[in-house]
Amino acid sequence: MKSKLTKVFIGCVVVLLLFFIVVQIVPQKTSSSDSQSEVVDTSGVLIRQVQKCSRLYTAEVEVHKIITHDDQLKLTGSIMSKPLGINIPLGERKIAIPIDATLKAYIDFSDFSEKNVERYGDRIEVFLPEPKIVITQSKIHNEEIKRHVPLFRSNFSDEELTHYEALGRRDIIDKIPKLGILPMAQEGAANVLIPMLKQLGYKEENITITFRKNFTIGDVQRMLVNGE
Amino acid sequence: MKNMAQLIKTILRYNKLTIASIIFVAIVVVAVFLLITYLFRSSSLHVEKDDKINNTAVTVESMRQIGEWEFLIISNEELVDTTRKRLFSDDELVRIYYGVLRLGIDMRKMTDKSIVMKGDSVIITLPEITLLDDNFIDEARTKSFYETGNWDGKAHEALYNKAKRLMKQRCLTEENKHKARENAIDQVEKIVMSLGAKNVRVK
Repeated sequence: MKSKLTKVFIGCVVVLLLFFIVVQIVPQKTSSSDSQSEVVDTSGVLIRQVQKCSRLYTAEVEVHKIITHDDQLKLTGSIMSKPLGINIPLGERKIAIPIDATLKAYIDFSDFSEKNVERYGDRIEVFLPEPKIVITQSKIHNEEIKRHVPLFRSNFSDEELTHYEALGRRDIIDKIPKLGILPMAQEGAANVLIPMLKQLGYKEENITITFRKNFTIGDVQRMLVNGE
Repeated sequence: MKNMAQLIKTILRYNKLTIASIIFVAIVVVAVFLLITYLFRSSSLHVEKDDKINNTAVTVESMRQIGEWEFLIISNEELVDTTRKRLFSDDELVRIYYGVLRLGIDMRKMTDKSIVMKGDSVIITLPEITLLDDNFIDEARTKSFYETGNWDGKAHEALYNKAKRLMKQRCLTEENKHKARENAIDQVEKIVMSLGAKNVRVK
């Protein structure tokens, strides 16, 4: 009886030791360095910044995206210099987050002056600065988020959700140049300014609105204001 | 003393087998430990999870021309929290929302009578200063600050609405509308003067 108890005790010690060794040696690691190094400033509970400006918004684009993420746990690394990559069974989480965003293009009139206007008799030519693009809002359809979490995995945390949403926003920003918002912004600016100039006494055929021509994709990315 | 030595001898004889087993198991444990340590030192193993999102399409829902003239920007950062009572401890969710409220005039509200020429003077009547877009929170920029317990979409939606209400309450003040109107008058006057008008009155 005594010897049996001793054997059971020794067996437990061995199992515990092995478990401890494995837990200590195999570290948990994620491929995102951002989430680990990110520091959230908690000192400012509320920050409000009021700024005077003069911006004429002339075009609006509403976009939709479904952010998806497959989260498969993998055991990777090398054993005795041999590479290893094994999907851990029953470890795949999935999530789909629908998001809407509104982008607007505007002309900044803060520095508009006589230098932007040329008059030749009864003709007038207005030179406008290049348009800029801003994301004015984004909306997550929180109640339509779909997720699949296996039994042995933890649920998606709020930090993970906001991380994927930020990546989705970044993806929308990257695709802005393909949306064709700038020609519409130019046309919109002309449609706002020409009636004003007509009311100031100029005939429509004598009004010219001039913009910088031929925007490249690089130009469009430079024009994006809040692409942080 | 003699008795004590006798007793130890008896115990040792009686438990000879058990002590041998303990020594044997201890040697095995040490050997296994050394082997595993060697294996892992010459190897590297990580449990990894991918934090990237998949490449999905961005679809355009609508495109339209607008005419919104913005004269005051109020950038906001709002810390919003919610608590759920539990038997032993409370669940808490705290998030930081970012939003920009834009005050200005909607040019579509300007009529033919908004700009009147009287001799060499121009009289401009501006429409009322309003919030240009009621959707002003950039929810995809939201930061998670603190979370305990599990929270569903309804809770996130409620927090979003709370942040929106607080931002509007704090920013849509008469003082800010007045500031925007003053700036609107200055800016419109400057632009119309630049376009060639000699006397401009904006009201």
